[in-house]
Amino acid sequence: MKRQEVYNAWKERKSQIEIAENFTDGVMIQVYQHAQKKRKPMFDIRQLAELISAHPLVQAGLIAAGAVAGFVRVAFVVCVFLGS
Amino acid sequence: MTPETVIRRVLEGDIESFRFILEKYESPVVRMIRNITDSTDSSEDIAQDVFLTAYKKLASFDPARSNFSTWLFTIARNKSINALKKKRALSVTELPEKADTREPLHDLAKKEFFDQLDRKLRALPSRQRRAFILAEFQKLSYEEIAQIEGARLGTIKSRINRAKNKLRSALKDLDGDIL
Repeated sequence: MKRQEVYNAWKERKSQIEIAENFTDGVMIQVYQHAQKKRKPMFDIRQLAELISAHPLVQAGLIAAGAVAGFVRVAFVVCVFLGS
Repeated sequence: MTPETVIRRVLEGDIESFRFILEKYESPVVRMIRNITDSTDSSEDIAQDVFLTAYKKLASFDPARSNFSTWLFTIARNKSINALKKKRALSVTELPEKADTREPLHDLAKKEFFDQLDRKLRALPSRQRRAFILAEFQKLSYEEIAQIEGARLGTIKSRINRAKNKLRSALKDLDGDIL
């Protein structure tokens, strides 16, 4: 083998490449994960509605909180009215 | 389908089109990283990072400024340099590979010469080495290399010539023919 042939064979070897079969899929998974993260809003109203409808305790808590808020509001108005 | 068409599709929300870019450029990108970092183990991890970065920054790609491949190779070049810096910081001493004595004599001789060329390539100054790799293994034009390296065309030509001369000197050390 001549020097130039050695050099060419070396260059050929350095140009060859073997890539894992799942390389493309691996990158695509990361790309999809990134895109999903980017799309996800800070406050998801649909997720909140699902949470409320799935848990009776959450529903009861919300109704109680609403009733308390309503009572406080009525009491505040009565106080203002009597005070004047 | 041109890379520009694919990019437009991806930016419009067709993420699956990015697979086309991956399939077209995975080999040259991994090869470039492997040769610059001189590491087979980490080259695919770095390449994954390169493609993910390319996806994230796709909107900033300007076809008026460069080809898509040049833009992508520039990301790969920068990631490779960063990986090399980290690798040097760890300063792990690599043990020399032992020759496989089962190989025929001429294969061993060839391997020895390849190792010699590898050593010469590794010993080149990093800029010369990168320019040589991009020209000889990636088969990029001098103009593309100048864009990737952010250097003038004349500087790139000079770096490649110097690298070739140094490798030629390594070849001169060989005693005649291998076989």
